Amino acid sequence: MSEHELIELEEEEYTSALTAPVFKRILGVIKPHWKWVVGFLITIGLTSAFDAYFTYLNKQMIDQGIALGDKAALIRIAWFYGAFILIQCVCIFSFIYLAGVLGERVQYDLRKLLFNHLQELSLSYYAQNAVGRLIARVTSDTGRVSDLVTWGIVDSTWAAMNIATSLIFMAIINWKLALIVSVIIPIMVFVATKFQKYILVEFRQSRRANSKITGAYNENIQGVRVVKALGREDINLLEFQELTTRMYRASYRAAWLSALFLPTVQIIGAIALGAIVWYGGVQIQVGMITIGGIQAFVSYLTFMMWPVQDLARVYAEMQHSIAAAERIFKLADTAPDIHNRANALPASTLTGKIEFEHVDFYYEERKPVLTDFTLTVNAGEMIALVGPTGGGKSTIVNLLCRFYEPKNGTIRINGRDYLDYTLESIHSKIGIVLQTPHLFSGTVRENIRYGRLNASDVEVEEAAQIAGAHNFITTLEKGYEQNVGEGGNLLSVGQKQLISLARAVLAKPELFIMDEATSSVDTLTEALIQKGMEALMQGRTSFVIAHRLSTIRKANRILVIADGQIAEQGTHAELLRLRGHYYQLYTQQFRHELEAQYGMFDGLTDTSDRANINADSILLRREKPSAEPAATD
Amino acid sequence: MSTSTPYFDFRNALHKNRLVGLWRMMTDFRLAYGIATLALAVSALAKTSVYLLLRFFIDDVLTKGWRFGSATQTFLLIGLGFIGLALFEGGFAFLSGRLAAYTAEGITRRLRDFLFDHIQRLSFSYHSQTPTGDLIERVTSDVDALRRFFSEQAIGVGRIALLFFINWGAILYLNVKLGLLSVVVIPLMLIVSIWFFKRVTKAYEDYQAQEALLSTTLQENLTGVRVVKAFARQDYEKNKFEKDNWLKYLKGKILLLMQSLFWPLSDIALGAQMLFGYIFAAFMAINHEITLGDYLAYAGLVVWLIFPIRNLGRTIVQTSTGMVSYARLMDIARQTREPLTDGAYQPAGPARGELEFKDVSFIYSDGTHKVIQDISFHVQPGQSIALLGSTGSGKTSLVNLLPRFHDYTGGSILLDGVELKEYSRKYLREQIGIVQQEPFLFSRTIRENILYGVGRNVTDAEIEAAAKAAAVHEAILSFPDGYNTLVGEKGVTLSGGQKQRITIARAILKNPRILILDDSTSAIDMQTEAEIRAALDGLMENRTTFIIAHRIQSVMKANLILVLDKGVLIQKGNHEELLNQLGGMYRKVYDIQTKIDVELEREIALDAEE
Repeated sequence: MSEHELIELEEEEYTSALTAPVFKRILGVIKPHWKWVVGFLITIGLTSAFDAYFTYLNKQMIDQGIALGDKAALIRIAWFYGAFILIQCVCIFSFIYLAGVLGERVQYDLRKLLFNHLQELSLSYYAQNAVGRLIARVTSDTGRVSDLVTWGIVDSTWAAMNIATSLIFMAIINWKLALIVSVIIPIMVFVATKFQKYILVEFRQSRRANSKITGAYNENIQGVRVVKALGREDINLLEFQELTTRMYRASYRAAWLSALFLPTVQIIGAIALGAIVWYGGVQIQVGMITIGGIQAFVSYLTFMMWPVQDLARVYAEMQHSIAAAERIFKLADTAPDIHNRANALPASTLTGKIEFEHVDFYYEERKPVLTDFTLTVNAGEMIALVGPTGGGKSTIVNLLCRFYEPKNGTIRINGRDYLDYTLESIHSKIGIVLQTPHLFSGTVRENIRYGRLNASDVEVEEAAQIAGAHNFITTLEKGYEQNVGEGGNLLSVGQKQLISLARAVLAKPELFIMDEATSSVDTLTEALIQKGMEALMQGRTSFVIAHRLSTIRKANRILVIADGQIAEQGTHAELLRLRGHYYQLYTQQFRHELEAQYGMFDGLTDTSDRANINADSILLRREKPSAEPAATD
Repeated sequence: MSTSTPYFDFRNALHKNRLVGLWRMMTDFRLAYGIATLALAVSALAKTSVYLLLRFFIDDVLTKGWRFGSATQTFLLIGLGFIGLALFEGGFAFLSGRLAAYTAEGITRRLRDFLFDHIQRLSFSYHSQTPTGDLIERVTSDVDALRRFFSEQAIGVGRIALLFFINWGAILYLNVKLGLLSVVVIPLMLIVSIWFFKRVTKAYEDYQAQEALLSTTLQENLTGVRVVKAFARQDYEKNKFEKDNWLKYLKGKILLLMQSLFWPLSDIALGAQMLFGYIFAAFMAINHEITLGDYLAYAGLVVWLIFPIRNLGRTIVQTSTGMVSYARLMDIARQTREPLTDGAYQPAGPARGELEFKDVSFIYSDGTHKVIQDISFHVQPGQSIALLGSTGSGKTSLVNLLPRFHDYTGGSILLDGVELKEYSRKYLREQIGIVQQEPFLFSRTIRENILYGVGRNVTDAEIEAAAKAAAVHEAILSFPDGYNTLVGEKGVTLSGGQKQRITIARAILKNPRILILDDSTSAIDMQTEAEIRAALDGLMENRTTFIIAHRIQSVMKANLILVLDKGVLIQKGNHEELLNQLGGMYRKVYDIQTKIDVELEREIALDAEE
């Protein structure tokens, strides 16, 4: 939550001036719904004109009715008045509805546009743009633009129309007095706009302070045990009070500026009113203005502050909305790096020889990740990738899935450059299980079915059985219909892994890729995951970024990847005999396993299944990977 | 206004009646808020006076020819009168707004301070039961709801009421009959608008819930982009988003339909009331029941009487959210704090570190489940005690008794011969250093993290010495900003080992008499682990040290090993003694480990020969 807020705050710093192309594009957003726009423009215009006209009618009631004692005229005016109130109400209904629904519609359109476009963008785009930022683009920026093109237009139209019609009626009543008013209005608008800008600045300050306060709360609550252990309560409070004081200052300033704003505008109006009473009094003597006229001027000026305020607010907010629009357009204009080549064919199968030929790759220029990488894998082979973090293991997998494409060199599948195939045909034949399994909100069943959308319930359960997930699923309260929570967070990591395995099983991939989890999973689940993996790899070409000895030992070939190259390759036994990188890695990990195994003391008292644990199922733990951008999934 | 930071204990604002509670919350601000309300009244009076001045202008000046000097001078005076009234009205409106903001922001600031402090002083058990998200939600949204209650809603209701009564009073003063006829529709309006806004609030919540759902869909899609791509599920995702997006559009439409119906319908009712008043007053004026000036004043005043009522319903409904928030915050305020300084025994110097446990038991307040049962042992100053046992065996609960994170419920613990409960928690926590299993660092610089909670002035040299002793100095220097490197989201990501060593440096700097090590180095590679072990060995010298251990290796050297199972002490002694207890748990674990050791050796040999 805090992250989103910070991004929003950061982006609010950017304001843009309105340029013709941007203006055109913003209008383009409402173009398909132009009828709605015309509708609310007319109705808001009418509403506003009626507002001004009612004041004029009041004057007529006085001058033509009361002053002359003409009851019939009074009744006639009243009928008009009543009828116009009804018509205005219809207009009010229409513009609120039209503008409001249009706003929702524009938001819907923009969100759809952005979301659909985001689906096409390549991983490299995601690597460069934090998720929080993209979310801000789709949610708050679209909201801002839709507000601008609906309520922004409504408010400014109402205000401009109201000022204009009021001036016209005033000029009809007495043009000299109207002239006085027309001098004062620009001053009011100018002062109001200045105020709004100051208020906006203070408001942002206070929001920034607020997000820091939230951060401080969060940290102090999460770290409360440390705080207590170190007895740091008093200093923490002092530090926190600095934050709340900052917040206090900014929001107090924003609040009193707001409190000063309307009175100031109103006083400027009152000066005009004073001048009119003075000058109008003189004119009334010579019959140039009626009493009703004076009354009308008083009303017009008293209510002039509302349109002025609206204009100022729209103006102050506009620049930020335009900046939001520019960000939206920029995202919509980004072309995906990875796309189907012209004349791309669907790949009929991925089963077959896979070759990396002199492949070079980097995420950032001059920081090569893979250099001159060459590898041939035969159909049905299981390849284990091991080696240090940042060595290039994930990159190999990313290239193989064509999430990225080689900068130099070629990747061939069945003898053909894989760039000749369509992306969809490649992706639909790959099964992938990520290190941090990702599930979607919804039921267990829906999550497994993600692997093959038209699979029957029976097939889903079969897949779960093969993956070893079935047993734990049936222990869930609602079984397959159990809700997994947002991102699957109601399940444990191990359970998520099992479900993502089942998902991959259901997809019946021809090529299987797995990034083994490094995080700890209880032993039983661990064993299940191992079984599930085995089931999946049966008869398929598979690549595993391996952390566990058992996995490594099962591989047909082990590649030790270091510094973007294959440092060693061969079977487990071959590599051990080499006494090189792999030997070191292996023995180190083995000792490490031993250490980890001491942790087996936990629960020894009551577990019997521990007895059949052997070195095979020991976890190899290591620190979390962080260097490779691609590994951040 | 004031920049000092007053502290207010909101536990004093606890009351069954929420309105009384809110009133108590306003302690120290009541005068300001009172003046704000008064200023509001003055401002409203000035506004009303504008119309009365208009009446005077029409009736007396224009009709009856009242003069102050020449005609032009009179008109000038009246004109100035209008300006003067506007200044009055504006000035007092500003004063009122400023004081209301002062009150609202002031109360909010000290409420935030109070909550922050209160929460950090609540007990361990409270924190382990309460999800962080829930607390955060309360201290942010609910505090903000209360801020709005004081700054907008309470004063808003006051404003509308004042406008209503002052203007109504003025109209009644002009003509009683007119006054009574002008408010016929208002009670109805009020009921309808409250009814309406309650429903709109519900529809709005519905709409917001859908918005949240849409965000979740979006977020999951973006974070799971690799899964989406790997399964080529772009179209499926598009459809899913489309469904949620469209539903939100529909819910927005419903909400807008309600709103776009309410405003014009209320306008019709109020417009009819106003027009009716106008006609009635106009006839009265023609019949000379009232003057022309009366009519003009009436026509102006009635607008301020009627239209604010439209918003009253909304304001009242919103006010109720302030009440709910009050209750939610007071749920937190109601919790009892840990008394940090309470303790009959106030030793002058540091503790020696001799500890005696006699039949100590501990039961959580909520249940009958005994976490620790009748544990007894004795520790000399400077000795090391290792606790061994499975998860849930009570190891951590046992050491948590020492800083009085929890208080033992049975038996007795003596520190240097004095009952532990006689010491203040503050004193004990100063004497005890803890290196936790999962190191927690704060998002500030590394230096500040090492200094965190040391509570005395420390030179840079001391900090570096501590970091060196914790074997983390080199690593820190490898960062671009060295000790000033920010930790966390905006700064560098530290490895688990680095984090742990920074917390060890922190403990070294604190120089406690009693040390608790929650020894989990499983997330750390061997090299680092060796370094940490060396750092810890240095730290343990001359301190009474408790080690929560998971492996024999780290236990072997301890003076006393306690083997726990389900809260019961099942074995006690040093390594040799325990090894000799054949059939004992310790021996069993040791054997299994040795066996695996041999097995692995053999496997390596076999593998290589394949």
